[in-house]
This record gives sequence, C-alpha cells and structure tokens, in this order.
Amino acid sequence: MTAGIYVHVPFCLTRCGYCDFNAYAGLDHLQNRYVAALLREAELTAPEWGSESFTSVFLGGGTPTTLKVADLKTLLAHLRDRFDLAPNAEVTIEANPDTVDRAKLDGILDAGYGRLSMGAQSFDPVVLAALERLHDPASVRRAMREARAAGHANVNLDLIYGAQGETLASWETTLRETVDLGPEHVSAYALTIEPSTPLGRKVARGESPAPDPDLQADLFELACAVFAEAGYGHYEVSNWAKPGFECAHNLGYWERRPYVGLGAGAHAYRDDRRWWNVRPPEEYLALVEAGKLPVGGEEHLEPSDAHLEEVFLRLRILEGVPTSWVEPGRAEPFLESGLLREDDGAFVPTERGLLLLNELVLALAG
Amino acid sequence: MTDPTLIRNFCIIAHIDHGKSTLADRLLELTHAVADRDMREQYLDKMDLERERGITIKAQAVRLAYEGFELNLIDTPGHVDFTYEVSRSLAACEGAVLLVDAAQGIEAQTLANYHLARDAGLTIVPVLNKIDLPSADQVETGRELAELVGCDISEVFAVSGKTGEGVTDLLAEVIRRVPPPSGDLDATLRALIFDSSFDPYRGVVAYVRVVDGELHARTKVHFMATGLDSETEEPGIFAPEAKPVARLEAGEVGYLVTGLKDVHQVKVGDTITISGKHRASEPLPGYREPLPMVWSGLFPAEGGDYSELRDALDRLKLNDAALAFEPETSLALGFGFRCGFLGLLHMDIVKERLEREFGLELIATAPNVEFHVVRGEETTVVHNPSEMPQSGTYDSVEEPMVLATIITPTEYLGPIFELCQSRRGEMIDMKYLSPQRAEVHYHLPLAEIIFDFFDQLKSRTRGYASLDYEPTGYEPSELVRVDVLLHGEPVDAFSSVVHREKAAVYGRQMVERLRELIPRQLFDVAIQASIGSRIVARETVKAKRKDVLAKCYGGDITRKRKLLEQQKKGKARMRRVGRVDVPQEAFIAALRVDQRAAAEGKK
Repeated sequence: MTAGIYVHVPFCLTRCGYCDFNAYAGLDHLQNRYVAALLREAELTAPEWGSESFTSVFLGGGTPTTLKVADLKTLLAHLRDRFDLAPNAEVTIEANPDTVDRAKLDGILDAGYGRLSMGAQSFDPVVLAALERLHDPASVRRAMREARAAGHANVNLDLIYGAQGETLASWETTLRETVDLGPEHVSAYALTIEPSTPLGRKVARGESPAPDPDLQADLFELACAVFAEAGYGHYEVSNWAKPGFECAHNLGYWERRPYVGLGAGAHAYRDDRRWWNVRPPEEYLALVEAGKLPVGGEEHLEPSDAHLEEVFLRLRILEGVPTSWVEPGRAEPFLESGLLREDDGAFVPTERGLLLLNELVLALAG
Repeated sequence: MTDPTLIRNFCIIAHIDHGKSTLADRLLELTHAVADRDMREQYLDKMDLERERGITIKAQAVRLAYEGFELNLIDTPGHVDFTYEVSRSLAACEGAVLLVDAAQGIEAQTLANYHLARDAGLTIVPVLNKIDLPSADQVETGRELAELVGCDISEVFAVSGKTGEGVTDLLAEVIRRVPPPSGDLDATLRALIFDSSFDPYRGVVAYVRVVDGELHARTKVHFMATGLDSETEEPGIFAPEAKPVARLEAGEVGYLVTGLKDVHQVKVGDTITISGKHRASEPLPGYREPLPMVWSGLFPAEGGDYSELRDALDRLKLNDAALAFEPETSLALGFGFRCGFLGLLHMDIVKERLEREFGLELIATAPNVEFHVVRGEETTVVHNPSEMPQSGTYDSVEEPMVLATIITPTEYLGPIFELCQSRRGEMIDMKYLSPQRAEVHYHLPLAEIIFDFFDQLKSRTRGYASLDYEPTGYEPSELVRVDVLLHGEPVDAFSSVVHREKAAVYGRQMVERLRELIPRQLFDVAIQASIGSRIVARETVKAKRKDVLAKCYGGDITRKRKLLEQQKKGKARMRRVGRVDVPQEAFIAALRVDQRAAAEGKK
C-alpha cells in the first residue's frame, strides 16, 4: 500500500472569516525557523516510515506559497532524501491567487511541485466579500493564465458556494468562469459554518444568516450538471476531475492508506492509529527544536470505528459499500427513494444520495 | 396528664407567603421548644421541596409548653390542591390564627381557609403580619380583616413574625380566646387522623387528634373507614421531635405508630376507635376518599427506566395516599403511567420528587381533567384524552366545574374578566372589599384552570390577584377530541379534549408548534390536526435535502466519525411515530403548557 506525505504551512496573509484551519496571519517572522523545523521533524519521524513507499506529497495550509521558492525546493529535496518517494509522485502545493506571480509560479514548478491547487472560491465579488477574501475574480484569471504560461499542467481550483449573497445565478457564473479556465481538477465546497470562526460567531449572534441547506443542495446539483457537461468526473462529494487527474494524495485519505503529517497540527495515520501534532506554531517549533516529536494527541481505532470510517469514506468516493456488509432490509428504503443504487455488488450513492450522506451512513453502517 | 382546660389546639392559616412558617418559628423560640443552636428557618417544613418553595405539603403537629399550658400547633398545608387535608387538620383544632400580610391584604386563600375554619366551628383570631414592612397598611388591611371575620377592628392583632413584635401578646390571646377541647375522656376512643407518614422502620405513623377516650400502646384498634384492625405500637407527641408518651387523652394531639405497613390503610379523615364490640358507633364526621382531579401521563425519557419509574411511584405512594396511577402505553412515548393528582401543585411536587429523589428523567403529557362520557344510562369515566371516544358515539360529555374566587386590585378587573370569559367562565358575583380591592366569583371549567390559568392570572395582574377554587360537580359541555397526526399517524400523546369552539385554534397551535420542532426527514412530513375525520389544520415539514459535510481530509476524518457517532446516539434517542423520527425534546417542548400558552398569547 502506498503512502502520502502531508506538510502543513500555517502562514496566511490574512485570516478569512469562515476558515477554521490551523492558519495564522502575522507569524511570517517564524518562517525560517518553521522551515528548519519541518526538515528536522522529517528526520525525526522518517525512521518510523522506512518500510513505506510514498506516491504523493501535499503542501497545504495556510498558504504554502508564502514560503520562499528556495525553501520550497529545499523542503521537497529533503523529503525525497528522507522518505522513499517515487520519482513520479504527485506533488501538490496550495496557492492563493494573490501570492503567486509569474516568477513564483516558474519557481514552484522548477522546485518540483507539479500540481497547483488555487483557492479561487468564487467569481462573484459579492460572495468573495462575504468570505472576506482579498482577491478579486480578475486575479484568479491572471494567476491561471500565468500558471499555464509557466507550464503548470495539473491545476485545481477550489470553490466555495452558499455564502451570504450567493444565488443560483451567481454560482452559475462562477461555474462557467471556472470551466472556461479549464483546470484539470475542481473542488467545490458548500460553505460550512464552524462555530469557532469569526463567521461562526456572527451567525450565532444572528448578525449573519446561516447558509440555507436547500439552496446549497440546488447549487450542488447545478455544479454536478455543469461539470459533467464540461467533461469532469465526479469522484468525491466535493471533487471533480478530468479523467486521470483525480488527486492521488486525497484519495489516499479516502482509501484509508497511510500518511505522514509534518508541521503544526498535521495529522498522520497508519494501521488504525491516527495521531496529530500540536497546533500552535510556537509550541510545534519548541518541541521540534528540542529534538522531540511534536505529537499532540492520538487515537486508536476500534474495529467498529474503522468500519464506520470505511463505510462513510467509501460512500463519499462513490466506491460504494459492498452489499454483503449491510444488514438485509436497511438499504431498501434508500434504493426505493433513489438515494442509493446497486452497482456491481455495492450500494453506491446517487447524486441526491451524496447530499444526504449522513443518513446513508447511519443506515448502512448499522 | 394535662388538665384538659389547659390544652389549646390551634393552627395558623394564611395565604402563601403571608408568613405562616416564620410566625411558627417565633412561637417555637418563644416557648423554647427548640434549642437555639438547633433552630433554623421554616423549622416545621421538613422536606427540601417545602423549604425551597416556601410551602407546606405535609401537616405537622408540634406541642409547645408555655406557662403551664399545653399548646398544640398544627401546621397545615395551605394550597387549594390540599383543601380536604386542610379541612381535616382544622377539624383537629378549636382555634385558628388567621394570618394576613398587612402589606398585601386579604387574598383568595385567606378567604378559602377562613371559610373552612368557620365551617369547622373554630374560634378565629384575626392577625395582621409583617407590620415591620414600610408598605404595611394596618388600618386598611385591619378593616378588611375585621369585616371578613365580623369583629371590631380593635380585636385584630398585629404582629411581625420577622422581628417577633406582638408574638408574646398573640400567644396570650390564643390562650385566652381559643376554648379548651371539650372531648369526653370516659367515652369510647375516637381519634381523628389528620395526616400520616411512612417510616421505613416503624411503618405508618398517623397524626391524630384524640376526640374522646384515650389512646394507648398495645391496644387493638379499629379504623372505621377502611374497616381494618391493628394493634397500636406507640403513641407520642412532637415536641417538636418525636417523643413517646404513655397515652394520648381526649383533647390531645400527637402521633400514633399504628402497626400498619401501608399508608393506604391509614387514611386522612378516618376515625380510630377500639376494636371489638365496644367500638364507637359513629365515626367522626367529614371523611372522604382522596379524589384525583388532574391527570397526566408520566413516561420515562429513557424507555428502559420504566420499572424504575414504577418502583419510584410505589415508593412515593407509600407516603402520599392521594397519588393514583395506572400503567399506560403510548404509541409515541412508550410505557409509562397515567397518574392522578389532587391538583397542579401536587402534580408538580410528585414529578419533581420523582426526578430529584429517584434521578428519573420524565416526559409528562399536558394535564387533563377527568371526563364523564354519557351513553344512555351508562357513564364512562375517561382520564386520558386519547381514550375519549369520537364525537357522535355518545350522548354527551360532562366535565368538572369549579367555583373560583379571585381577589384583585380593582384596576385589574378588566383583564380578569377577559381571561375568565376566554376560559368559558360565567361570573357569579362581585363585591368590593374596599374601593381598591374586589372579590369576584366565577363558575369555570376545571380544565380551563389547569391549563395555565394561574400563570395567566399572575401575568395579567402583575402578581396581585389571588385565586382559589372549589369543585362544584360535573356539567354537560360541548367537548371534542382533537388529534394530532404525523404523516397520517395519530400521536396519542398530543391528543386533547377541548371545547368545540376552541378546537380548531388548539389544533392550529399544536401543528404550528410541531412544524418548528420536528426535524426534517428524508420525505415530506405532513402534520395535521383533526377532529374526527375532519382535518382542521395542516403544515408540512419539507424533506431534507442536504446533510453531508463538504470537506473530509486527513484531520477531518476523526471529527467526522465522532459527529456520526453522536448523530447515531441522537437517532437512537428519537421516538418513532410511524416513519417519522421525533426527538425527545420535541415531545417535551410540544407538551409544555406554558409554551402553548405563549403561542396563544401571540395570537
């Protein structure tokens, strides 16, 4: 079984109101120490992973492109040095359209990052403002154009739908613009309100409306239609790709393959054990600089936990749950109501079923 | 034994919060009945609930020794639910201190208690309390009180239970005015039971007033109402802690360890006499069976707690002869009990004790009265709305009526008329106690009173009006059963019997309320209210379309799994009505009377 490497870069230009990731604005002065700590952590943890062969690297954040190209290059080289990473491994870096110019894009590709994932979020200025994103739609178009010019041939655009002010029409504009830019991969997420975020607090105080789940369902269905028409395959609840461009790294999570996590708050998983690093960057730095593994917590999955994860992940990636796993009678109401279909010995969610996945999981996982 | 001419048996009667327990505390201190270090507030209210709520639930009888006199103070419950119990306590006395808060004036329970005491032939000592308060109006309240009891204003006493002012004089006045008991020591034993309690080691302890003869230990006695015989174990007095005595004589008040093990064998109002052929021929007057007036279904929130609920009810009943219950099976709420109570306070107390003393989590259905369904010559008693037959299958329905007494500042008369009118009330009469205060009598269905009437009265009169009522029997009424259906299935817990004119409004309220409370399902859920086959209100909870979380990457998987486990637990706690999953909270919220009243208030 092949494995993946996740590297977390917690720096951001600003904090967006909806985001609950482990990301910080104003910590850029820690970047040099942080990169050094990533290298050190790789060294500390690599011996545990000697037997594993790796086929993907994913630099997520935060905004990894806030790091200098030279650092990005050193980092990847170091990972290749320490881990058994396949030469043709998929190497993804997340980017914010505003933090990449032509030179940066050239440098990233040159450093070995062959897959570029950009946070476009929306092409509607109203929605971008509601999300507190700094960029405007034009900067996404520019970044995309320059990425292509630089030679990036595997690009993902991230979209968020259902923020305040979003309508079917504004979403259709975003979808059309996205398809016109022709990325190899698209992730489209329904806005989720996280209580711990500024937006979450606004919603709790009644200052901002909670997203309407029915509208989000309409928006989802529109996305499915537009992407299908444009030749993208729907391979996970929120992910679409041109054939052959599915994200190998993310599929690793969903297929329950092992992954290393490096950096503040990063998660790792192997053999029904999941563990994670401490979240605050300073704490992470202090531990690694003292030569310690910065583990902040762990869990061991009981067989029932593992089963539940297996069921919901298989449903999310439309692989489906083998019919033999499901107690007789449990799937039938959902087959009848068109939320599930039976395909080659497995129960697979339909498009409507994907939206109601919680119900399906609770019914099928028993 | 005490010379009967030195005995005074008396009680203090008052509206709630007029200072009865505080005055009792002062009397205990004054007579040195309790050592200073053992004294605490509301000394005679032993239950936590009594102390917290400032009410008396169980009667107490305490003997005070004062200047050669034997004073028996009987502390009575003071709530409309316990009218019968109060009347029996009064029957054990020769005198009553009628206590009125000088700042508040006469209230409805003042009147009710006064009438009970007068009917029992007691000597009334009218007393103004709380004269230390700046807002006390001794002149006006004194005038009201004097008028009520028909005495001169100079005969009204004034005290402060808080500071003790006037309490010594009051005690002298009680001794002077209240007559000594007049029983016949040589006659056959007759003792009145005015309350009882259950002691796990000693069995049932009866609180008694010996009217004639003597009560001894190890004597065969006969309980005249229940027809039971037993051998007495121990007579005693409360001073204020239990203290055995050799015997209780005519005129005395105390306790008797009865030798019986079941509180239902020792009924309030029953007469104890000697066993065998010398027993008394006539029982003391006034006995009746406790009669539940209000019914409600109690269901364990966790289905598995059914047997614990049954055990808890059995235990409570040991000490509460008025509590009635029988098993009930609800399609919606599972296995539980339909319980009968003396009134809303009694219901609250029982429910709270079940939850607090037995750690049970309960769902209670909305309280209802007992209906009489008449078919030809036959009358069926129905105390569960879901068992009410559909209209057309009977000749008539009768519901219990009450005579309500409301005392209020005159400025609130308008809102009170409005409230009573909206509750199908019929005014009997009204009189002014003073230019500022009036006493109103209404004929009202009990069902309307138990439907948050008291809360409404309080909120419409800013707490200034007081209410008391007495049952006046059953009368025919245009009542219909309203059912609530979820996806076509009737939910028995939501069925209600209401007046025909209000049925549609009630149905609409329930339906609207449930639309807010029932979570979206995988299909459209119709919520309907029906009277027979006629649908009077309908709402739809639209099918849910999205519940999936958008993102699920490395660190999200654990979180997502935990969320699913929580949802699984939540689902397991849901009640299933047909195909519809209804959370427990929805049932509780929909059944809360005050919530429904709030919905009514919005109209």
